[in-house]
Amino acid sequence: MADTKEILTLAVEIGDAMLRNGAEIYRVEDVVLRILESYQVEEYDVYVISNGIFASANENREDACSMIRHVPLGAVDLGKLSVLNQLTRDLCEHKCSVSDAWDRLDACKEQKLYTKMLLILGCGLGCGGFSYLFGGQPIDAVVAFFIGILEKMLLMNFAKHKLSGVLSNVFASSFVTILSILVLLTGLPIMQDKVVIGAIMPLVPGIAFTTSIRDFYNGDYLSGTIHLIDALLTALCIAVGVCISIWLSHQFGGGALL
Amino acid sequence: MILNFIIQLAVSFVATLGFAIVFFAPKAELIYCGLTGALGWIIYYCMLAADVHIAVACIVATACLTILARAFAVLRKNPATVYLLTGIFPLVPGAGIYYTAYYLFMGNQSMFTSKGMETFMTAGGIVFGIIFGFSIPQKLFSRLERFSVK
Repeated sequence: MADTKEILTLAVEIGDAMLRNGAEIYRVEDVVLRILESYQVEEYDVYVISNGIFASANENREDACSMIRHVPLGAVDLGKLSVLNQLTRDLCEHKCSVSDAWDRLDACKEQKLYTKMLLILGCGLGCGGFSYLFGGQPIDAVVAFFIGILEKMLLMNFAKHKLSGVLSNVFASSFVTILSILVLLTGLPIMQDKVVIGAIMPLVPGIAFTTSIRDFYNGDYLSGTIHLIDALLTALCIAVGVCISIWLSHQFGGGALL
Repeated sequence: MILNFIIQLAVSFVATLGFAIVFFAPKAELIYCGLTGALGWIIYYCMLAADVHIAVACIVATACLTILARAFAVLRKNPATVYLLTGIFPLVPGAGIYYTAYYLFMGNQSMFTSKGMETFMTAGGIVFGIIFGFSIPQKLFSRLERFSVK
């Protein structure tokens, strides 16, 4: 029987990893509680918000311990969520020992499902597809595909240099708008608005918004509000980026373009 | 008409699949993510073509894709989040955000108000769609477990 501290640390670490990769609050709390329960820890409690975990176990015994984690809002990784889900399942059914669980957790943190090339290509496909779905012609989709590829490369560079979310959204959305205007200038018969709509899709806060609704639905109003503000701020950043580019085009192109 | 329907279905499938890769959905689940997105989009598209109000179309489409995502979650033994977050992408009002910002900048008050309202209603539709989709008790989905492929 592993001691309380080890179990609590493992449970909170798994919860931390899930929260970091975009799980909703209810699920993180559920995972931590289930692990503690299945290892006969008594008198436990856990409280999770969007950017932190508080947990305690065996409160009225000698080996009482508690734990606080700060978890910054990060990028969503569904592959890691899926692996962590399986890990929790195995751990609760005692199909996997505690030390194995640590190894699997460490392996999961390093997991990279797709190469950079594939990520860039996926982003391009998404941008092109959405440009067509929202009323573009095939040529708009092709232009949006290439702009999406450049955009993903830019975003990866931003992430590498740890640029803040606000700035990278503003820059990326003004970048795609300027690119679309430049393509328009070359004389290709594109619908500039459809190209931009496709190309800003990777920035649009669909995930933050959905997570926020699910948190509200489960009664986690505080976390729901945090994600909602995140989503609204991102939408605002996209709007600002688009406006900056249109303003620039008016300054240098006399406004005849759009 | 039929051809257009098939093209919309295929494109929404590919587009959702592309974004599923960007958000690192597991390789084996990519197809299911794409299916969820395609179902949501095609319901939304058909309802708009039949002149249904945009908010209603959004509610119904989101509710259906949420239910599909939860069914996949049981069948494939994965969190519903994987399918829901990727599948919802075609319905997120990216176009609304763009047009709202554009008309605001251009000083076109009436178009700004109309696009702003449309964006707001789409977002509201997604909210209620997800809530309806999740209010179906988990017990009903657990019955699917015997069809589970894993």
